[in-house]
Amino acid sequence: MEPILLRARGETNSRSISTYLRLGGYGALKKAFIMDPAAIREEVKNSGLRGRGGAGFPAGVKWGFVPQDSPKPKYLICNADESEPGTFKDREIIHVDPHMLIEGIIIASYAISANTAYIYIRGEFVEEARILEQAIAEAYKKKYLGKNILTTGYDLDLYVHRGAGAYICGEETALIESIEGKRGLPRLKPPFPAVVGVFGCPTVVNNVETLACVPHIIERGAAWFASIGRPRNTGPKLFCVSGHVNRPGVYELPLGVTFREIIEEHCGGMRDGKALKAFIPGGSSAPVLPADKVDTAADFDAVAEAGSMLGSGGLIVMDETVDMVWALENLLTFYAHESCGQCTPCREGSDWALDVVRRIRRGHGRPEDIETLQRIARYASQGMTICPLGDAFCGPITSFLNHFGHEFEAYIEAATPAPRKKLPILPVRSGRGTFGL
Amino acid sequence: MTPVHTEPLQVTPPAEVAEVHFDDDMEKRIREILKRYPTKQAAVLPLLWMCQERWGWTSPGIMNAVAERLELAPAFVEGVVTFYTMYQTEPPGKYLLQVCTTLSCQLCGTSGLVDHLKERLGIDFGETTRDGRFTLLDVQCLGACGEAPIIQVNNDYYTELTPEKLDQLLDELV
Amino acid sequence: MVTVTIDGHEVQVAEGTNIVEAAGKAGIEVPTYCYHPGLSVVGQCRICFVEIEGQPRLVTACSTPVADGMSVLTGSERVKEARAAVMEFLLENHPLDCPVCDQAGECYLQDYSFEHGLDTTHMVDERRTFPGFERRLIGPHVVQNQNRCIQCTRCVRFTQEISETSDLTMKARGNHSYIDTFNSEPYDNPWSACAADVCPVGALTVKEFRFRARVWHLEETPSICPGCSIGCNISLGNLKGIVHRFVPRHNPEINGWWMCDYGRFLAEGLNDRDIEQPSRADAQSEERAEMSWAEAIDEVARLIATGSDVQAVVSANLPNEALLLAKKVLADHLGARVLTPINDGEKHKIKNAQRQWIGSVDSHANSTGARLIGLPTGDQDALVKFLESSNGPLIVLDNRAHPWLATDAAAAALKGRPLIVLARTHTPLSRHAAVVLPLASWAETEGTYTSSTGRVQLAQRAFFPKAGAKPAAEALLLLGARLEAGTDPNLTPRAMFEELAAEVPAFAGMTYRRLAGEPGVPALGFEEVAHVG
Ligand SMILES: Cc1cc2nc3c(=O)[nH]c(=O)nc-3n(C[C@H](O)[C@H](O)[C@H](O)COP(=O)(O)O)c2cc1C
Ligand code: SF4
Ligand code: FES
Ligand code: FES
Repeated sequence: MEPILLRARGETNSRSISTYLRLGGYGALKKAFIMDPAAIREEVKNSGLRGRGGAGFPAGVKWGFVPQDSPKPKYLICNADESEPGTFKDREIIHVDPHMLIEGIIIASYAISANTAYIYIRGEFVEEARILEQAIAEAYKKKYLGKNILTTGYDLDLYVHRGAGAYICGEETALIESIEGKRGLPRLKPPFPAVVGVFGCPTVVNNVETLACVPHIIERGAAWFASIGRPRNTGPKLFCVSGHVNRPGVYELPLGVTFREIIEEHCGGMRDGKALKAFIPGGSSAPVLPADKVDTAADFDAVAEAGSMLGSGGLIVMDETVDMVWALENLLTFYAHESCGQCTPCREGSDWALDVVRRIRRGHGRPEDIETLQRIARYASQGMTICPLGDAFCGPITSFLNHFGHEFEAYIEAATPAPRKKLPILPVRSGRGTFGL
Repeated sequence: MTPVHTEPLQVTPPAEVAEVHFDDDMEKRIREILKRYPTKQAAVLPLLWMCQERWGWTSPGIMNAVAERLELAPAFVEGVVTFYTMYQTEPPGKYLLQVCTTLSCQLCGTSGLVDHLKERLGIDFGETTRDGRFTLLDVQCLGACGEAPIIQVNNDYYTELTPEKLDQLLDELV
Repeated sequence: MVTVTIDGHEVQVAEGTNIVEAAGKAGIEVPTYCYHPGLSVVGQCRICFVEIEGQPRLVTACSTPVADGMSVLTGSERVKEARAAVMEFLLENHPLDCPVCDQAGECYLQDYSFEHGLDTTHMVDERRTFPGFERRLIGPHVVQNQNRCIQCTRCVRFTQEISETSDLTMKARGNHSYIDTFNSEPYDNPWSACAADVCPVGALTVKEFRFRARVWHLEETPSICPGCSIGCNISLGNLKGIVHRFVPRHNPEINGWWMCDYGRFLAEGLNDRDIEQPSRADAQSEERAEMSWAEAIDEVARLIATGSDVQAVVSANLPNEALLLAKKVLADHLGARVLTPINDGEKHKIKNAQRQWIGSVDSHANSTGARLIGLPTGDQDALVKFLESSNGPLIVLDNRAHPWLATDAAAAALKGRPLIVLARTHTPLSRHAAVVLPLASWAETEGTYTSSTGRVQLAQRAFFPKAGAKPAAEALLLLGARLEAGTDPNLTPRAMFEELAAEVPAFAGMTYRRLAGEPGVPALGFEEVAHVG
């Protein structure tokens, strides 16, 4: 497949607006401005573009939820929080081609009649925020942003809003709270952001990659976009591969490529010639799959059928040497650290599950621990929580137990009774900022 | 490893940030920030960032000043500050060594780096070296897992690290 | 109005009502922790799960408004299962130190774990603790034990939405988040103890009440706060004739669910008493000579007869019934000149259930009643002038009717006059009074009070007066009988109130039943009186 989202990779000065213009950039914007916003929404709907942030919701449909007759201002937010372990594609887009993202943002804002847009970028991405600020400044200078863009009468302001270290702020309503200057606690839904979003106004939140697809759809048409991949799973996709492969990194491939192809052809196979043991197909929240599922097609529906999800497209590859109890402990450490703490099942469940798995790995497991973990996974997910972070750690628990339960059992069989006092925690849970008690 | 030169943090001692005032430059910047949002409260995170860049960390006095400037309760601002992990509520060393400890990095050898760091610096996570040069923090996935293992030093990512590269890096950070 | 079915019971509720409230209307309690009717809805604790028939997912009752025709199940198997799971999560880290917890008996966690919990807890891992936050006085009145906190944020929302002081906050995040103030400074606002009221567990408790008594031993009496003119509704907790605490009692029109610390901590003061029996001054010694009420009333009658220009100071802290009797017996029958002194006092304010502030106009629980009944009122200057204008006998109902009366200056100014003083604790004035009559405390008095917003409210008697004390109204009845004022000596407070309703237009049509059923019965024509007053 020809590179689309990463077409500028390898160009010198790929980020500058002159390079972008040379490659035909901002052409889609001009085309969009002679279209009706409703027609743009329709085009994106027809392209079948599904959200690349994790949930896979059709972007055009989401835009259609914005009440156009609402007298309130409307907002577009680009979600560049990219905090899901195993995911680093949005960073790549920003590094390679920030103007593609900006053009997508302008078209999307125009399509939903927003006059203000924010890019919410995770706090750690200091360099990336700087790249974006610079690109935005260039775009203002060339009149792609600001008042009366390209003399169309359409106004749009675009600002970068930096997060400050919180995975949960990738969840769209927590993100909105964070922009509003609050603790990033996900909101109760309904109302959904399209109706009541940031500052109480209709808001669309889209992932970086989703928005980066938009200029291409407008420029080359919905049918072209839909011809890539498979029905309901259309378009190019960035796969981020990490872990035990020879060439980890971001790969742009059509949806539907198999995981085997990704690992063996694109990433140069397993590192050190080891055998594949397991892979997480869509960022750490996606249930783990054992090696025998490696021929699954990497698209939303096929991965769901295989019992996991495509999520953000973050593929974490684990070879035969990986201790799966250790791996689950590592993931649970992440979720316990990142749970916002407002709802009971997630706050207590994430920490409890971590305690149990850690105890198992330290050689003090008990036979009933497996059931306890299953209970936690059952009751901290599936609508028991306010946001999907509950599901995000329950999926791993369940899938690790399903596919690698014997490793947990082996630990438990060899276990000795737990000491009365808690052992010192390893690795330490956090910097002192959060748990400075 | 990204070939950059990481600037040390200018960490202001607690006594000097017990109470802070915004100078004209900062005020100008604040006015710019406020223009971006329909509410003053929305400027909390950007203002805190601005202050942390200026003073190196986020003291209670800074939270108070931000609260006052944005007409918010200081307790509210502290609630926000402590929700996020990147606002340093105690004065850190000149270099914040933020080691990613999440899965992809761990698969690629983070624990070796951590052992090495702890031994060389003689500190544990959450601690600062005696000479005030380094603060060691464990952080969660930094969103660059393809270049694991990663340590963020102040604002900069150092990627695909090995103990040898790390030694070289530490020597450069003075 | 919409019609919904809760566990098979049909109820009609206003549109937008949430399922918790709708169920309450059907007499069914849905357990809640984070939900508080006076605070914003956050839907965080997840204990209130219910099933809506036909919907695949359980919903949180607090955050789900009813819809017409909705059928809700609050006790289905799925609901029970989910609730038990939430309880298990909550108890997973909860210290279970109920035997030493002050909240025991009033703890929702304790209550619901009996009802909805499991008999075994699966927890074998160490519980979360917050060293340094386990028995911490966070302000003048509130003690924190963070280990017990269930992160419901009720207290935080209280300070954000009700007291508007925003002094509490949740710090850090996740399982390690905890309640604190800015920079751990003292938690001190005029309503600070309400944060402990709203805490559903024992994480925040009131210092003054800690270890005083077990809650389930307390007897609770519906009463009114004696602190100022607002008339916050309270529940007066007592044990064997000792007042242990006030807690706010819901009244949507006056105090919502709240009360101020000033009023709350008047509670213990009600136990003070150094005057137990009627007494007379003894010319020979400093000691006062005790006597019976009959003797005392005779002595009062004798004293009154010694002069012509009789005066009476009648406290605006007395209930309507006593004020009416004072007017009838002292002013109308005896021809005494009467003044009700008004002290503005410290200003207090409280939020009603509509989140409107109500401010105090003065420091008396019944200045409005005094005006409506037709007693002349005046400030300190007026009081001093009034008292200077006569040398005759003076009846003081009671010795703390105005702070000036309690001063040495007042005692000096009134020296030599035949003084009859009702009092519970001595002031310079009462020490030298010719006759002192022991006055029942607020807790020992049944009566109605009229708030500064014109609402008439009943405060019940918590226990019988101790020693020889009597409520002011009873003392006036005895005196009325002795002076042949035509008052029925056996009137009960209720009968006195009926008389008030019959005789004073502002109270027309009021009955005890209405007082019990309404959030204070609005006095008629009050607006004008307030204006005039
Ligand atoms: C816990 C959690 C974390 C998330 N993190 C991210 C993120 O880092 N980036 C992102 O784009 N979406 C993230 N999402 C998904 C967003 O909530 C939202 O669905 C997405 O931004 C919508 O954009 P899309 O429709 O373009 O995918 C997260 C969701 C959850 C529940
Ligand atoms: S599920 Fe977890 S992260 Fe989401 S709202 Fe609940 S506590 Fe917060
Ligand atoms: S796991 Fe370390 S950057 Fe993602
Ligand atoms: S009471 Fe409904 S979620 Fe807490």
